[in-house]
Amino acid sequence: MENNVVLSVRDLVVQFTLRGQVLTAIRGASLDLYKGESLAIVGESGSGKSVFTKSFMGMLDKNGSIKSGEILYDGMDLAKFKTEADWLKIRGHRIAMVFQDPMTALSPLVTVGRQIAETLELHQGLRGRAAKEKAIEILRDVGITNPERRYKQYPHEFSGGMRQRVVIAIAVACNPEILICDEPTTALDVTIQAQILDLLRDLQKRYGLTVIYITHDLGVVASVSDRIAVMYAGDIVEIGRSDEIFYDPRHPYTWALLSSLPQLGERGEDLFAIAGTPPNLFRPIKGDAFAPRNPYALKVDFQYRPPYFDVSPTHKARTWLLDPRAPKVERPKNLDRIREMGGFIHE
Amino acid sequence: MAKKERWENVVPPVLETTPGYIPDALFERAPYDPTAGEKGGYSNYSYWGSTLRAFRKNKVAMFFLWVLIALLVFTFVQPLLPGQRDPNLINNDPETGYMLKNQPPSSEFWFGTNAIGQDLWARIWSGTRTSLFIGVVVAFFEALIGIVMGAIWGYVRKLDRLFTEIYNVIDNIPTTIIRMLFAYMMRPSLFTVTFVMCLTGWFSMARFIRNQIVIIRDREYNLASRCLGTPTTKIITKNLLPYMVSVIMLRMALAVPGAIGTEVFLTYIGLGLPVTIPSLGNLINEGKQVMLNGTLVYQLYYPAIIISIITIAFYMIGNAFSDAADPKNHVE
Amino acid sequence: MLKYVLKRLSAAIVSMFIVITVVFLLMRLMPVEGYFGGRADSMTEENKQRILENMGLLDPWYEQLLNFYNDLIHLDFGRSVTLQPNTPVVKILGKKLPYSVGFGLGAIAISLVLGCSLGVLMARRQRGFWDKIGTGYIVFINAVPPIVYYLMIQISVTAATPLPMLFNERKPLSFVLPLICMALGPTANYAMWIRRYMVDELNRDYIKLARAKGMPNNKIMVRHVMRNAFIPLAQYLPSTILFTISGSIYVEALFSIPGMGGLLINAIQKQDNPLVQAVVLMYAVMGVFGLLLGDIAMAICDPRISLSRKGGSR
Repeated sequence: MENNVVLSVRDLVVQFTLRGQVLTAIRGASLDLYKGESLAIVGESGSGKSVFTKSFMGMLDKNGSIKSGEILYDGMDLAKFKTEADWLKIRGHRIAMVFQDPMTALSPLVTVGRQIAETLELHQGLRGRAAKEKAIEILRDVGITNPERRYKQYPHEFSGGMRQRVVIAIAVACNPEILICDEPTTALDVTIQAQILDLLRDLQKRYGLTVIYITHDLGVVASVSDRIAVMYAGDIVEIGRSDEIFYDPRHPYTWALLSSLPQLGERGEDLFAIAGTPPNLFRPIKGDAFAPRNPYALKVDFQYRPPYFDVSPTHKARTWLLDPRAPKVERPKNLDRIREMGGFIHE
Repeated sequence: MAKKERWENVVPPVLETTPGYIPDALFERAPYDPTAGEKGGYSNYSYWGSTLRAFRKNKVAMFFLWVLIALLVFTFVQPLLPGQRDPNLINNDPETGYMLKNQPPSSEFWFGTNAIGQDLWARIWSGTRTSLFIGVVVAFFEALIGIVMGAIWGYVRKLDRLFTEIYNVIDNIPTTIIRMLFAYMMRPSLFTVTFVMCLTGWFSMARFIRNQIVIIRDREYNLASRCLGTPTTKIITKNLLPYMVSVIMLRMALAVPGAIGTEVFLTYIGLGLPVTIPSLGNLINEGKQVMLNGTLVYQLYYPAIIISIITIAFYMIGNAFSDAADPKNHVE
Repeated sequence: MLKYVLKRLSAAIVSMFIVITVVFLLMRLMPVEGYFGGRADSMTEENKQRILENMGLLDPWYEQLLNFYNDLIHLDFGRSVTLQPNTPVVKILGKKLPYSVGFGLGAIAISLVLGCSLGVLMARRQRGFWDKIGTGYIVFINAVPPIVYYLMIQISVTAATPLPMLFNERKPLSFVLPLICMALGPTANYAMWIRRYMVDELNRDYIKLARAKGMPNNKIMVRHVMRNAFIPLAQYLPSTILFTISGSIYVEALFSIPGMGGLLINAIQKQDNPLVQAVVLMYAVMGVFGLLLGDIAMAICDPRISLSRKGGSR
């Protein structure tokens, strides 16, 4: 297993400076990414999932920086990278990204074909005709019909779903090892979402990619991911195989997150919602960040930050409830119905 | 400052190590308070409070604010001080009876005298008062007419098309030309100068107000707000007014240096104030006439310095305020 | 594309028509002394009436208006009254125009180069050295009335260097100061616009995508940022160029350049109504025309406009 780790993040801390105040967006998160897998990072808005993955590419906004921790990739520590030249070795070349909103992700004044071709020029050393032919081939690969004609068109002549295919084509044109998909379907129509996810799965197989999905949509997670990492307030609170997270969740936050699945709602009752708001990351957090919103919280949660407790070799969670001294706490009953619903997770 | 240090020196909570021994008593269920979860969030946001805080952090703007306040206070206090002269009084030498013309700055005449022996010190402060008066009046009327016309434009849907067309035509003509034309047609006076500036200044304000009103009707967050049953008055006061007020204040702040500049311009081309009313424009003009004589250049420098300070101060404060009023720049 | 241009053109012609009419009607409100040329006091009422009648100013206003349109079509702006008595206005303008155009083009060239470079430098490192210098410059130019710094430059530079104070056709050195003065304002504007648009562009998603795909910053700047930032600029460019070449009112008067701007001031001071009317009209038409050109320039640069007008998919 160890040999298969392509990217390893250790105790990463990312901070932003906003008008003289410091916001700690990532609070010591750790993660191992295995070759060829697809990992989903889930969490509510502001949990830091985007920032976390952006830090692998040196794409943090100017006021943000990695304060401590390591990002080990191919014998390098990306957290130590300072210059633009360093990052250019990684960006696109080794790790590529698909953005959330395809409507704004393409340069409006450059033809779609050109935008793919210039990527090929950067990373695959193709020039002129060769780049154009390869670009047309990739356009066909991502499911765009009549790619020769489409090559010459501008982004505004494409629909949203088609543009997202182009954005994916650009990422593929980089020929990366790792592909980060930041909410790849959020901005799309529901009918298009499934097509795009199919396309991504298909490309993952064909190009042997390792894929990280960032999403807050558990439906997307269930349909594409091998493993799931649950993020809350800048830290990964639980991580495990998809079936482990869905059928045997251990962190109260994961319980709450799963309980909010509309499929679990009872007819005639309000849907479940997590009470309260995420903590203010401008302030230091004591203990477990979720404690104030957690109906199952222990006194220790307000004092000390829990370490990871292993549930299985592939499954661990950061909660004191897993400590042997903790009282036995049953998870909410309705979560058992996820297993009954069956077929929810792709195998 | 103290606040900043406090956050910066926080050891990343991540690296806080868990002690080896934790008393068993801590492994008890804690009482659950559903409201506690709200406290951690980003509550207590106050638009004006944050605007004010953001503005105070802009040191350059604060500096100019104090300079401007000092200047304003002094302008109004100056005539009340002992030993001040009438700005239009022609000073004669008590012994010879001749005009004390073009006297260099001295203990008697702090800023010297001009070509006909008037006290430049008194004229500059009197001119500053005139120019500020014009600026403030113009800013006020621009806002008043602009808001009223903009409200009509936005509310009466039938007029929208007509007003928009009229606006497009007028917007095509340089305002300088419109002002010159009207100033040319009317007799030079304080009223004329103020009038021609009010004539053109309100257009953009009216357009802004009109757009805001259209936004009340159509913008999605307001629609959402209305669907949730928020009364229109609350939508206006909470969603719209803060932004509107801040833009109106920005425009008023920028209208003042604009008006001072236009007065200088109109006076320069001979359409401005008569020389009997000292204004910064008149003073610049008088200074220009003697500037070729190296020893008299001070007659140009003093008004030029004052005018620069005032206009830059208004401009900086206006822009800093509009930055501060932008919620994107608010923290917490 | 063609349809769009024609639509904008017709709107501009309507605007111009309205502008011309309004200027004409306003001119009827001007002091009639402007038609007698400083001799108003010594003339008898009879003489005055005769002059006005000869100029057609006693006809009903609608007849005057029709005559006015007719004259305009034949490029007849009447004759100067006081400044150069009895000379056709067109002839005076014709003599002045080359100076204004020459200086205007020079100043525009300078300010385009300086302004765009400054704007790019400012946007590249926000809050950096150039950004601070540039912001200070822009604030100064925008806040302080131009005449103030023109005068300061005129005094201090001529005192410190052998540059002459007034314009002289035979001394090329005398062109330097007016050119610098005329370029100051547009330089600040271009720098401000370029900076603002580039900063806007830098925060766009497609710039993030370009970075994410590993494009070096320099290439991103040239291929994506500048290209996109230039479009909104294209809209303003024609108006600013037209106004600069139509003569700076201040600078021409200050340096005694015999151009259009100086002419306007002289005409106003001498109350030469036909001349004022002609120059005002010219500036107004220039404004309408500049905006029209700006819209067309933008349509040419931006594929989204031209194609959407063809009924393409959006």
